[in-house]
Amino acid sequence: MILSTLIFLPIVFALILTAWPQKSTIRQLALGFSLLQFAVSILMLKDFDSGFAGLQFVEKFSWIERFGISYFVGIDGISVMLVMLTTFLMPIMILASWKSIDEKIKGFHIALFVLQSAMLGSFLAVDAILFYVFWEMSLVPMYFIVGVWGGARKIYATVKFFIYTMAGSVLMLLAIIFMMRLTPEVTGGNISASLLDFYKLKIPFVAGEFFTAQTLLFFAFALAFAIKVPLFPLHTWLPDAHVEAPTPGSVVLAGVMLKMGTYCYLRWVLPLFPEASAHYAWLFIALGVIGIIYGALVAMIQPDVKKLVAYSSVSHMGYIIIGIFVMNSFGVSGALYQMLNHGISTGALFLLIGMIYERTHSREISKYGGLAKAMPWYTIAFVIVTMSSIAVPMTNGFIGEFLILLGSYKYNPWIACVSVSGVVLGAAYMLWMVKKVFFGPAGEIVSHAAVDKEHALHDLSAREIAVLVPMLVLIFWMGLFPNHFMDYSKKSIDHLIANQQNYSLELRAEVKMGDK
Amino acid sequence: MNNSIGLSDILLISPLIVLFLFSLIPLTGKVLNNNKEQNPASSLIVALIGLCVAGGLLVVFGGSDQTAFNGQLLFDGLTQWAGLIALLAAAGGLIMMYENTSTQGKQFSELIFLTMNSILGMLILVSAVNLITLFIGLELMSLSLYLMIAMSNEQKISKEAAIKYFVLGSFASAIFLYGVSFVFGSANTVNIVDLMANAATLVKTNKIFLFGMSFITIGFCFKVSIAPFHAWTPDVYQGAPTPITSYMATAVKTVSFAAFLRVMATQTLNGSQNLFDVLQWLAVITMTVGNVAAIMQTNFKRTLAYSSISHSGYLLVGLITAGISQNSSYSAASVLFYLLTYSVMTMGAFAVLSMMEKSENHFLTNEDFSGFAKNQPLLAFCLTVFLLSLAGLPPLLGFFGKLYLFSAAVNEGLMWLALWGVINSVISVFYYLRPIVMMYMKDGNADIAEHPQQATTVLVVVAAIFILIAGLFSGPLFTLFEKSLG
Repeated sequence: MILSTLIFLPIVFALILTAWPQKSTIRQLALGFSLLQFAVSILMLKDFDSGFAGLQFVEKFSWIERFGISYFVGIDGISVMLVMLTTFLMPIMILASWKSIDEKIKGFHIALFVLQSAMLGSFLAVDAILFYVFWEMSLVPMYFIVGVWGGARKIYATVKFFIYTMAGSVLMLLAIIFMMRLTPEVTGGNISASLLDFYKLKIPFVAGEFFTAQTLLFFAFALAFAIKVPLFPLHTWLPDAHVEAPTPGSVVLAGVMLKMGTYCYLRWVLPLFPEASAHYAWLFIALGVIGIIYGALVAMIQPDVKKLVAYSSVSHMGYIIIGIFVMNSFGVSGALYQMLNHGISTGALFLLIGMIYERTHSREISKYGGLAKAMPWYTIAFVIVTMSSIAVPMTNGFIGEFLILLGSYKYNPWIACVSVSGVVLGAAYMLWMVKKVFFGPAGEIVSHAAVDKEHALHDLSAREIAVLVPMLVLIFWMGLFPNHFMDYSKKSIDHLIANQQNYSLELRAEVKMGDK
Repeated sequence: MNNSIGLSDILLISPLIVLFLFSLIPLTGKVLNNNKEQNPASSLIVALIGLCVAGGLLVVFGGSDQTAFNGQLLFDGLTQWAGLIALLAAAGGLIMMYENTSTQGKQFSELIFLTMNSILGMLILVSAVNLITLFIGLELMSLSLYLMIAMSNEQKISKEAAIKYFVLGSFASAIFLYGVSFVFGSANTVNIVDLMANAATLVKTNKIFLFGMSFITIGFCFKVSIAPFHAWTPDVYQGAPTPITSYMATAVKTVSFAAFLRVMATQTLNGSQNLFDVLQWLAVITMTVGNVAAIMQTNFKRTLAYSSISHSGYLLVGLITAGISQNSSYSAASVLFYLLTYSVMTMGAFAVLSMMEKSENHFLTNEDFSGFAKNQPLLAFCLTVFLLSLAGLPPLLGFFGKLYLFSAAVNEGLMWLALWGVINSVISVFYYLRPIVMMYMKDGNADIAEHPQQATTVLVVVAAIFILIAGLFSGPLFTLFEKSLG
């Protein structure tokens, strides 16, 4: 029941918030709920058996019997850390929005909880239609978060986000329906939407011919996920959405929603279409490499800090795609680790940008300069997060990018050579930005604030420290002791790499006592 | 042939009798009181009781696969469910009429009389197995509608719409009847059950029969607004009072599709590749025309009219699937299920629109929704639910409707139609999102009309709850449909 609790508890919270009469205590209540949700996920993690490669805590009930659709959820090493990331970021986002969201507070928190439920559902679903329901359900709250609480061009950004993502996913729906039609071959006559039955399908593959079943299905799924990741050249919705979204929206977008795309490559694309994904791996690796370099180059010339970070996301997600498609254990475990890193470091960057924006209402790099003197603690936090983002050793970013580069070197040294340039470029644009914003002569904003006592720049408040400390701790924790996190996923990744051709997952309903 | 009318016939058609009797009550009351309009609330209650009793009788006697009057009217699962959906839509329409500015007032009892007689026509239409009886049902329904549209308090556009609908509708009826005459000439029967036996071979060998079937199909295509026979739809939907538009878009469409389904069940499509090809293209064109044209509208009612055209396109996909399928109860159930979901969400959207009309000459554009969420959070939320469901977003009911419809199409190998269907649902998102953007993301002071509208509010909320919840329990509902059609 623990997984269902995780998925549906946020919905219950949202309902309670809807009925809550007191406007002034909504924030406190929501924060409490999100912490409770995090506690539940910790309980789940405590019982999680990292020595087991298959799905754990499995629950399965028939839902729409006529089509073999069931409520089927389970968790394995690939999803466990992403679930933790989702529940971990939630209280941080609520705390971060304490000041910046000052109208329609109730609606905002309801949207956040519905979004959390949908995201957890898409990580945990093992039934294709159930997965699709959660996948699409996550669009609506995000649409409102960007559209209602966003910046100046919020409507353009949010409609673009919605239509881009939906355009990708309807083809996936068609592919799911098509595969459901094939399942009677392996289930002995019954139609089924279970992912495990999909794994058993042997879909014919003809190398080089596009209009064959496996290739078409592969691209239908891959396109849906590529838009979500987003992979170059389908990334254009992301900078718009990021820039216009309110801070918590950017955090959840970068932190979790983009990972839904990359996670689904591991859960769906690689095991379902092994031949096609091996045959077309070059395409995705090439797009990943282009994304890394393109994202970095575009980030370099951005005048807006938030846009810079948004394009750096495109660049970072390129690494993850490469790590996945080189299909060896270094690459995949690096990719999975990088998903967490990106969630934390980019999430923290958006939080920091949100904090300064609340004070100055400007994100233009050229207006800043000399911020380090005015806000020393803020500067320290920002520099640490920057180090993590550009993969300096001892921070989490290093582990992930190093593993991915190692994996891609094993696959083809040239890929590693080219993509390593992204690390250099990444260091360049981030450090330039840090230099211009924090050091050097005092810029327009800082000098203005020094004179004008009413608009003086205050350093981090206690609430902001509470927001940042968990992120900073994780940056070092994950950088120094990667095994604390990787051990959870090791078995599952090894299982995926070894059995990609005939993938199957064992099921385990509950952890037996004394098993660990 | 036994020409006497037995008790079983009377029991079977008891819903029709009840409808007719109840339709007379408000009107008689008015005539007996010096032509003075009676209390509209009591008229409404009488009408709703009539609809409920008719629905109850339909449930009890309807789905038994029995025929009345020597096989003229067939009461099977299709009759029962399509009839129930239509009765539901009529009840919703009546509630809206009671509170809408264009239909309130001195002619309410006449409106009730016409509504209940049009639904009587609809029940004949869905139960008819004889093409002539079917035609009678079609005309009874249509004639009542022409009048209902013209009776609006609005003085110009509604009259134009009524004339337009009347002229074009009569033309389509004529084509339909012309087709029936060809069918009778070539097959010597106008009974659909008899046609089932040899339609597939006749349509191959006999050009006259093919001609007749094509004309009948065109007649139906007009009624359900399949492009290129859709041109009347936007104008009539816009001109008619909103409650009646809602009634047309839901009840009329449901029963027309149900009758269309019955004609399709003759396996004509399996015999004629040409007709099959043409219908597939019509489906694709209808979906695309409806959605692309809807994007270009600024008037919200017109947007909904084009959206209903595009939904006809989706439904035609299901209809084609049912037409070529050997196991048609599955495909037919998906069409019926879609009709139910479509009717509820369209009715809901029109109901919110109806509440927002402040005067009979008030036509809402998208801008008129600005700030609606601030003033009417509950109604704005409900409208959002309806629009997202129309766009097919899970976990709302509209998604499951599309899922079943397109799975049936994929099952019959009509992958490309399903592909067009899903591509079109993405296009449709664009215009369904527009009012939501306006309601939640723009400032303004949109509000509902000031006179009390509790009944419509209840209708909207109930429909929204149904859309939210029923998706999760759609499996048993679908199985129920499939069983009763089997």
